[in-house]
Amino acid sequence: MGKITEIRDPIHGFITLNEWERDIVNHPVFQRLRRIRQLGFTDMVYPAAMHNRFEHSLGVMQVATRMFDHIHERRGNFLKAELDFKEDELGRDRVLVRMSSLLHDLGHAPFSHAAEGLMDKDSSTEKPFKHEHYSAVIVCMLMQDVIENHPFNQKYDIKAKDISDFLNGEASLGRSLLWRSLVSGQLDADRADYLLRDSHHIGVAYGSYDLHRLIATLTVAIDPETSSAVLAVEEGGEHAAEALIIARYMMFTQVYFQRTRRAYDQHSVEAIKHLLYDHQKQSNLANKNAFPPPTCKVHVDDYLKWDDWRVFGLINEGKAGDHGSILMERKHHRAVFETPEIPSAADQELAQEIQEALGDDVGFVDCASNSWYKFDSADVPLLLRPGERDEKLTALSTCSSVVNGLKAVERTRIYVPLDKKEKARDTVANTRYEKEKSL
Amino acid sequence: MNITVDIPWKRYALIAELTKRLDSVSLHFGKTALQKLVFFLQEIYQVDCGYDFELYTYGPYDSQLVSDLDLIEHWGCVSVTHVNDMLGGYRIRPTEAVDSIRGKAAEFLDHEKTKQALEDLVLTYGSMTARDLELRATTVYVARNFQRKGETATIEKICRLVAQIKPKFTADEIKQAVVELSEKRHIQFTE
Repeated sequence: MGKITEIRDPIHGFITLNEWERDIVNHPVFQRLRRIRQLGFTDMVYPAAMHNRFEHSLGVMQVATRMFDHIHERRGNFLKAELDFKEDELGRDRVLVRMSSLLHDLGHAPFSHAAEGLMDKDSSTEKPFKHEHYSAVIVCMLMQDVIENHPFNQKYDIKAKDISDFLNGEASLGRSLLWRSLVSGQLDADRADYLLRDSHHIGVAYGSYDLHRLIATLTVAIDPETSSAVLAVEEGGEHAAEALIIARYMMFTQVYFQRTRRAYDQHSVEAIKHLLYDHQKQSNLANKNAFPPPTCKVHVDDYLKWDDWRVFGLINEGKAGDHGSILMERKHHRAVFETPEIPSAADQELAQEIQEALGDDVGFVDCASNSWYKFDSADVPLLLRPGERDEKLTALSTCSSVVNGLKAVERTRIYVPLDKKEKARDTVANTRYEKEKSL
Repeated sequence: MNITVDIPWKRYALIAELTKRLDSVSLHFGKTALQKLVFFLQEIYQVDCGYDFELYTYGPYDSQLVSDLDLIEHWGCVSVTHVNDMLGGYRIRPTEAVDSIRGKAAEFLDHEKTKQALEDLVLTYGSMTARDLELRATTVYVARNFQRKGETATIEKICRLVAQIKPKFTADEIKQAVVELSEKRHIQFTE
């Protein structure tokens, strides 16, 4: 077993690491996460939002492990009889889940999600890379030795590529794909941790829910409509699951998509874009306004040099352009128009007309569906009468009028520079008046 | 930095159009079928629908598609009801207002490539159950994953991986789906 390291955590008490995991945490690539703030420039609105990806990554590992262990203990026979798992496979999967959840955020850019908009396009898919792609590549390129060659790994033979495949959700995971829902899904350890952690640090209660009850009622079941194995909540845990969904809605509307906080996301992206161009204009990168793509070790090494400390230093030196100055002086763009959270088609068209009327005065347009941690209305499977002959899987929304009533937030906002605020508000009022008059 | 309000009419209108076309063809058109049919449209028929599917044990899935369905249900273009039988799931049906957003994306829907793809999709997959669609969508994802990674995909390799991801399907069911998809040239494998 070796030496156990205990790390004090404000959410989970103590998080324990074995020697193998401690070596991984001590790797410089993981230590970089201490220099990536969890919520970017959220401190401009909630001053205590200073926590980082390092502690969140440890927290996700802790929650994912508790979830896995509970399911294994309670549904071990089901996993073997119905889903063909073998006991030794489950032991290996537990390690895979711990490692993958620990390393899932390795690839974050400075200030976490906001700068994800500065990732280059993957030529094979024509879609922008995400931080998960960087995480997966970093694991394979830079952490192979510390993962594969530790004596503790002799029993499991886990390859860096297994973790990379887990993070990318590759089909090659086979039956282990089931556990990916613990790191990326409706009931995942990632959101289970960040809701509680973000609430704790910024001093709001919106993200609170009963994690212990949620884990105690977590299960695996077969969806009768599709014969698929899914993570579900047992009847009795329905209110814990409801609370998780409400917490997501509240945190999205009050924190993650808070109007001023979102303005600082945009300003930080523009400031970093300025810095990237300045740094890369002499390079042979195709897109000099984007982070180097995770396509070779040189690019990955360059990418990892970007962290919050470096960006803060350059902003402080006045090298981040107009948006860097806005960040220094807290003179953010102002929202002059927003649609309802669930807009009608007419609301969306009005937003478009206002944007056209504002013309060059528009600073930026923000849409909830393009933001991170977006609130969607995807359902949670609920297992009724678990263990009984008439056990049945249904959707939580069929039993919960609260969940059934929550719809995806699709709000759009239009921002203008501070000095154009008054003029823009007149334009918005006039456009709205003309539109209503014409109806 | 985005400086325009871009309404994804194409995505909304596509869901409405599929709902309308499938109403007379399928009794099984619900949230699962919608995910898998749009996945086919994008992957097999190469229609750019704007979604980004990821693989789960329940097949390829994008939560944005659920949100888009939510919104057009809120607008009254479709109705979504829970099916209270042994299998559960949902049924999506058109309302009288289903055509109200068609005009916003008429150019996309009336484009020959989209029209042909929708016709083929509905004819080939429209009447399948959610279970059958999920097996086939997972198979397509697995086969294309081999292709994308430059690995040789044999029928045995595809069947073995699909069987691990979907252990409640028999070997015969999986093999039949692989052969059927291959005959339609919707997946390729090496003999």
